[in-house]
Amino acid sequence: MEYGYYPGCSLTGSAHRLNSTTKKIFKRFGHDLKEIPDWHCCGAFEYGNKNELTDFSKSNLKKAHGFCNDIVAPCPACYKNLKEANQDDGGSFSILHPLDVFEYFDIVESIDIKHDLEGRLFTPYYGCVLLRPKETAIKNKDIMENFITRFGGDVDGEKVKDRCCGGNQFFINRWATEKLSRLIIDNTHGDLVVFCPLCHMALKTFSENRKVIYFNDLLLYVMGETDKL
Amino acid sequence: MQQTDNNIEHTILNIEHLNKKIIGMSGYKREDFSVCLGCKICASVCTVNDLSIDANPQELLSSLFLGRTVEKNHPLVLFCTNCYRCTHNCPWGIRIPEIIRAFRETLGIESQFEKAFKGAVKIWGRVYEPYVFLKSATYMLKEGYIRYVPKWLEYISFHLPYKIKGR
Repeated sequence: MEYGYYPGCSLTGSAHRLNSTTKKIFKRFGHDLKEIPDWHCCGAFEYGNKNELTDFSKSNLKKAHGFCNDIVAPCPACYKNLKEANQDDGGSFSILHPLDVFEYFDIVESIDIKHDLEGRLFTPYYGCVLLRPKETAIKNKDIMENFITRFGGDVDGEKVKDRCCGGNQFFINRWATEKLSRLIIDNTHGDLVVFCPLCHMALKTFSENRKVIYFNDLLLYVMGETDKL
Repeated sequence: MQQTDNNIEHTILNIEHLNKKIIGMSGYKREDFSVCLGCKICASVCTVNDLSIDANPQELLSSLFLGRTVEKNHPLVLFCTNCYRCTHNCPWGIRIPEIIRAFRETLGIESQFEKAFKGAVKIWGRVYEPYVFLKSATYMLKEGYIRYVPKWLEYISFHLPYKIKGR
């Protein structure tokens, strides 16, 4: 199957790893990601004018017309903004987050296990916009836990998986991000597994020696695409 | 006395005008807030409280609704993280983070980083991170972000900016 692809700004820069691993996993399952030509920044959370913000994503949807029907957006902020603009526009596209597509791939059942996660502890951390607001949230709010336990790993952090890491305040009030990130770090154990570039940066910055990894890396490890986690 | 009355009236009109602008910018109408019954669920779940700062989104909402002044240094205006916990728990799903963003924009509250972000979008249609970091370099140096660079090495990648065609 072919999907339209909206990488968003951070995946072309600091979150390049999320970009390359998403493409790799889709390819591994026989699906193509076709980048929407000349996509515009979604505006993330930086614009106070709701119309201006929505128009960014609406213009991206216009560019996707005739190009694709389903759009995959890995960055949670991009995913939320695109999905809202699509709902506002009558919903002619399916805006998908990779976690929902992975569910559809039925990865938990279909993966040929090369490395299991036996004896390892993980904290799957979703953060905010993957789970909120309701209208744009991903479908399976336990998909990372399901995946980890299915392959023998243990999970921690149920109570903080949807708390805020404060990433949005990182370059404004750093102390606030540090305090909020530490609430997550100090109340959990094992490797922190995330899907959001901003959460990755906030948790990694304040995590001392804890490992912070993208969920994609975990998938690729189990699939045997990488030998080290 | 007449002068003082005129001044008060002028101030009230200004606040009302400002509040109307903020509400409109966030995509709401004033009457949309009339459904808020003051249950304060938003206050009980607000992330800003985790910073040991009292934050009450409901109070901010009723100030906008009633035409009262909201201070520029209101804790939510300064520290809202856009976590949407308030919206998620609100019986009416009121999108308070978006109202706060509209407030910040109307009053021109913008960090150097936010300015650089928008600057990049204006030039290229996308955020070019090296530009954002260069533009906020003085702030980042002054605030000691440099100490985190060893942790950020995995984020470094090289690409030239790309100017998109069409909006």
